[in-house]
Amino acid sequence: MWRFLGTRIAMGAFTIWITTILVTLLIHAVPGDPVQIMYAQSQGTTPEQIEEVRRSLGLDRPIPVQYVMYMERLLQGDLGATIRGGQPVLEVILQRLPNTLLLACAAMFIAIVIGVPIGFLAAYREGTLTDIALMIVAIAGISMPHFWLGLMLLFFFALELGWLPVSGNGWLNLILPALTLGLSNAAIFARLTRSSMIDVMSQDYVQTAFAKGLPKALVLRRHVLRAGLLPVVTMMGLQFAFMMGGAIVVENIFSWNGVGRMAVEAIFQRDYPIIQGFILTFSVVVVCVAIAIDALYAVLDPRIRRS
Amino acid sequence: MSAATHQDGPKAAPGFLRRLLSSPSGAIGLAIVFLLIFCALFAEMLAPYNPTKMGAGGRFLPPGGDHLLGTDEFGRDMFSRILFGSRITLLIGAVAVGISLTIGLAVGMIAAFRRGWIEAILMRSTDVLFSFTETLIALSFVAVLGPSLQNAVIAVGVAGIPFYARTCYAAALVETAKPYFEASISAGAGPTRLVLVHLLPNVLPTMIVVATLGVSTAILAAAGLSFLGLGAQPPTSEWGYMLAGSRDYINRAPWLMTIPGIAIAMTVLGFNLLGDGLRSSLDPVERK
Repeated sequence: MWRFLGTRIAMGAFTIWITTILVTLLIHAVPGDPVQIMYAQSQGTTPEQIEEVRRSLGLDRPIPVQYVMYMERLLQGDLGATIRGGQPVLEVILQRLPNTLLLACAAMFIAIVIGVPIGFLAAYREGTLTDIALMIVAIAGISMPHFWLGLMLLFFFALELGWLPVSGNGWLNLILPALTLGLSNAAIFARLTRSSMIDVMSQDYVQTAFAKGLPKALVLRRHVLRAGLLPVVTMMGLQFAFMMGGAIVVENIFSWNGVGRMAVEAIFQRDYPIIQGFILTFSVVVVCVAIAIDALYAVLDPRIRRS
Repeated sequence: MSAATHQDGPKAAPGFLRRLLSSPSGAIGLAIVFLLIFCALFAEMLAPYNPTKMGAGGRFLPPGGDHLLGTDEFGRDMFSRILFGSRITLLIGAVAVGISLTIGLAVGMIAAFRRGWIEAILMRSTDVLFSFTETLIALSFVAVLGPSLQNAVIAVGVAGIPFYARTCYAAALVETAKPYFEASISAGAGPTRLVLVHLLPNVLPTMIVVATLGVSTAILAAAGLSFLGLGAQPPTSEWGYMLAGSRDYINRAPWLMTIPGIAIAMTVLGFNLLGDGLRSSLDPVERK
């Protein structure tokens, strides 16, 4: 089990290391002069000031030197300063990251609580009308763009019915964005749970359990549920990454003050230090969650736990 | 996808179409996709108005009457905009999937065929890119290239490569282990022949399913970027962009929000159903 986890952690560290390289190169891939572009929107910047910025960002040095400088600062927890306002990027990100994580976790909770039971029920009644109806709902859910679902929820619950606030950062404000993200992912969990459960139910040991005459509920609880949920657990890591990606859009609909909204604003303002910081933070979060999920998987699956 | 399919590939075609049409998801999916292609091809003839002409008959007209789906904040006919939007949407799907599929196929097949260090480098970098997630790759690309529909499509296409490469690699690996493949090697087939004549036709069924489902993902991702203002720019009648514009008039003209959303959802549903149908009619195990 430790070997399994060790490989995953090494792979994650490698991914983050590659990200630091890509993030340094990113600013050079920008067509034209990045410093000129960044300051194109603020009036009255003198050529001397632009040269000053170029020096402070280290953009006048060769790329490998820039990378070493970037890493030195990064290891001291310095992600640079924002172009507009000159605040430390790390501070700006850390202020908003908890909001995004809260949104993603709430959405994950909704997705699992709704998706897994639906998938289980559909598998239990495989081939019946219930199964078909549930799977039609699921494929419709997967096909629905989450930004549209968000707008519809906003329209009905906030504007028409007035039950929930339109935007803001309180607990009530969390409900709509979390539902938006959660419902679209619940459909994915439902489909996955169903196919995984059906797969397990056709295994020999489950057939044997049925043949022994054990009650269906007991076989399901004792033999099917645990094995059938393993692929769902594996999927959670990838799903969390989807949620982080989906949060970028959803945060913008509901003006939820997270890193996704910050990133989109930064792209419009060409604030490259924020974009670099966002990409790095995003991949660190995704890698950490993936490792945590792998650890959970290792604990749940005896084949890995005892290896 | 077995050795049998390999031998009688062309003859299997009519049976395949019958199987596809006999599954409800395949039939409905195919119908939706055909309808879309029809709208896209004949948008000029079908559209009652010019999609970008303003003030065609008044602003914020509700659906019905002269304007089947109403008009928007500039008095443009929504029905005509949706029709022309189908052309953009299909083009987005085709180009983005084209990018992911071509590069993904090449990477996957080369890795499975050459093995050794080439395989290691290709598949490890695919793994790293895969863990970045498609959204982050697409967003980074747009951040670098700047917001435009063209850049958004390239971004979505590139973001899809790791998934296509992985799937193709897995499918190709299975093929290279089969007896017919080894027989071709001992019969003296060169690498070009092995890859193009033996490997490609046998990974293609899997990849066609992946690409069909991928059109949905690509359309959703590109519409999402346009919705954020990072893709299509005015006055394009791209559906995601139209949705973004509807936010300001959500109370006054809710149809501006519902109609493009339904259009996106139906398109994505069509490709999802078609992909599901293709999978079950191409997969000999599920065929029963």
